[in-house]
Amino acid sequence: MSTPALSLRAVTKNFGGLRAVSDVSLEVAPGERRVIIGPNGAGKTSLFHCISGVIQPSSGVIECFGEDITHLAEAQRTLKGVGRTFQISSVFVDLTVLENVALAMLGIQGAKWGMWSSVARMQHVRDKAEEELTRVGLTGKTDVMVKSLSYGERRQLELVLALVNSPRLLLLDEPCAGLSPAERQRLSAIIRDLPRTITMLMIEHDMDVALALADRVTVLNRGAMMLEGSAQEVRMNPQVREVYFGQV
Amino acid sequence: MNQTNRIALVLLLGLALLLPQMAGTYWVTLSTQMLIFGMLALSADLLLGHAGLFSLCHAAFFAVSAYTTAILQVRYGVSGAAAVPAGILAGTLLGTLFGLSVRTRGVYFILVTLAMGYIIWGVGYRWTALTGGDSGITNVPAPALGDLKVTNASQFYYLVLAVVVIVLIVYQRLVSSAFGLALRGIKTGEPRMRSLGFQPGAHLYTAFVISSFMASVAGVLYVYLNRFVNPVTASLHNNVEAVLMAIVGGSGTLLGPFIGAGLVLGLRNWVSTFFELHLVVMGLVFIAVVIWAPGGVVGLVRRLMSPAGKEGQS
Amino acid sequence: MNSFILQTFNGISYAALLFLLASGFTLTFGLMRIVNMAHGSYYLLGGYIGLVVAKTTGNFALALLAGGAAGALLGFVADKVLIKRTGEDHLAQVLITTGLAYVVGDLALKVWGGDAQKLPIPMIMRGVVELPFDIVYPIFRVFLTSVGIAVAVLLWILYRKTQIGAAIRAGVDDREMVSATGIHVDRLFIIVSALASFLAGFSGVLGGAFLTVYPGAEWEILVFALVVVIVGGLGSLEGAMIGALIVGLLDAYGRWLLPEMSYFVLFGPMAILLLFRPRGLFGTANMT
Repeated sequence: MSTPALSLRAVTKNFGGLRAVSDVSLEVAPGERRVIIGPNGAGKTSLFHCISGVIQPSSGVIECFGEDITHLAEAQRTLKGVGRTFQISSVFVDLTVLENVALAMLGIQGAKWGMWSSVARMQHVRDKAEEELTRVGLTGKTDVMVKSLSYGERRQLELVLALVNSPRLLLLDEPCAGLSPAERQRLSAIIRDLPRTITMLMIEHDMDVALALADRVTVLNRGAMMLEGSAQEVRMNPQVREVYFGQV
Repeated sequence: MNQTNRIALVLLLGLALLLPQMAGTYWVTLSTQMLIFGMLALSADLLLGHAGLFSLCHAAFFAVSAYTTAILQVRYGVSGAAAVPAGILAGTLLGTLFGLSVRTRGVYFILVTLAMGYIIWGVGYRWTALTGGDSGITNVPAPALGDLKVTNASQFYYLVLAVVVIVLIVYQRLVSSAFGLALRGIKTGEPRMRSLGFQPGAHLYTAFVISSFMASVAGVLYVYLNRFVNPVTASLHNNVEAVLMAIVGGSGTLLGPFIGAGLVLGLRNWVSTFFELHLVVMGLVFIAVVIWAPGGVVGLVRRLMSPAGKEGQS
Repeated sequence: MNSFILQTFNGISYAALLFLLASGFTLTFGLMRIVNMAHGSYYLLGGYIGLVVAKTTGNFALALLAGGAAGALLGFVADKVLIKRTGEDHLAQVLITTGLAYVVGDLALKVWGGDAQKLPIPMIMRGVVELPFDIVYPIFRVFLTSVGIAVAVLLWILYRKTQIGAAIRAGVDDREMVSATGIHVDRLFIIVSALASFLAGFSGVLGGAFLTVYPGAEWEILVFALVVVIVGGLGSLEGAMIGALIVGLLDAYGRWLLPEMSYFVLFGPMAILLLFRPRGLFGTANMT
């Protein structure tokens, strides 16, 4: 049994009196596609925050490829190969698309301290940016200000920012939220075609997208893990149907 | 930088070089003042226009370097060659201390820097034994390096112009670099920067120290222009104006702070020749900028010059 | 020992004045997220108008009301014409209110001249009174302290014991929620803003009698009020009370014991506090 890409052991997060994440344990194998589903307020995003380092868990252990990252700062986890997208678009609206990608590339390099060379003239940054942008279907927009991109295009950019450094572990928080059905299809196809060198954890509300992409599904309810299994198993499970579909 | 900008800059430089040949001492001195305060405004704008931090203590570095150079030369007979670096060092060291303010953001940052600026003013005003209190330090000699001495206003003007040009070249590279981009990233989305692997605090602290260095250089030039320094140099008024000049001229741009300095100083000199309400005019200008021209003069010029339909291009 | 007690009384009376100014500032920031650099201008204008009224009518109570009204009027105009346009943009607020402060300050200089002028106080307040510990203390300062305490008590009752106060507290805590519950947020803002600027003008009259009215007073007192509000916590009324006391006492002791470093004694701790606990003593953690 090889080292899991991600391992959570009894992870709990309390916000004052509120228990957002309750004693969650799970393991994701390298290259796996794991989808996390659950009704609103189930603690999915809080769990992601614990994994990516936005918040520290109240107790429990988080390991990434065998390394304990429980108490590492967010930036340090990124340096270790964790990439993340956010549910609410968090791209830099007052910068150009190229500048957004440049920041993502520079974030893990010492070059982020460079004070002499102009970013706009860094050909390797531009080339890599164009390559990644083409991959998600955002061509010809390199020097456009992000604020003039459509919401769908911003979600595509959001994905690029997470992918550009070839993360080992990719966390996608509802990547298709707010998109039209056509955009949703396009983005899920892109996600599905990502190489298996990237282990993927995804929060998704749309059952069809989730089940089409998932190797395994983890169901959260009220901060705790309810069930884990293959997409089919989860879909058929009566408790899940009650908790999840009952809420729709 | 595109063609139009380059041509404009060359023209401006040409004009600047020719100024002493065309105008009298009054204008030369005024222009020197504009260049010096422009540099002070530029230093504050590195933080404001790029990192989004509104600092009200940059005149403190300006004043500390001015005072240090003045005290060393006047009271201890230290030569200019040593007093100048000492002054710049003193201001920058203060910057490394005050730089701790980057632990705060937004309004709190404004208030911390306000307090810090006030402390320096208080020291200048109250610690009479060191700073000469109200009267400050007078009789500062003309700037000299060994046998080379600045003897007239035009010479000093060219010296200051040279320093400003060098600073601008370095500044331009700094803000177009990865470091500069990182600052703008922090300004526009700090949480995201953390998830990308940046440590915003480290970048902001470095920017703060760099800006204090720039303000200190301006301070040394200032004390040689005026030949004296007093607590007014570190007043709240000066601290506020450093930032205001940048905003009025165009925050986040290269020349905006200098244009702003020119406007504010020019207004002050021009208006006070015929009536005493120059602060009223200044206040109205600030109000007008907020309401009608948030991008300052540079923003206005850009708006006027860009053809409609090119929205979305940076 | 006597000096210490004397300085303590000095600190307390200055604290009273600071509280009157700072309480308004902290509530407008806490509720409306407005940074108003012209808050000191309300104080200045109140002082000058109070001066005029006191000199012409000889009625101090009238002067107090007139000063407060002047502050409230200026505040109203500032809100409607200028501050409203800035939304949540703190930078724009600082810029526009500083511009206003420059305008008011310079006009005041033009109208009333550059000399420091003392606001005449009623005869009964001009003497001294004997306090315990053999201290002989100006009656006016005792009056000032009493007014400060009275206003503090009244404000506290308003804030903690009335429905309006509850609405204000809720608004400081979570503005979006308050408007969602149907309370007229705009009306609340107007009330708080008017009260704040009235108090500022009112304190200007008291300050004018206590410290004289002079150009530049608006900046000096504003900075002190800011320290009060930072130490106490932006948005907290209790914080303004405790903060005012701390600042008043530190200022008095500082001037007495370390006159050359008195500003450092005051601002140093504040800067340090801000670095490690930006929300001050009583502020809530969600202030940005």
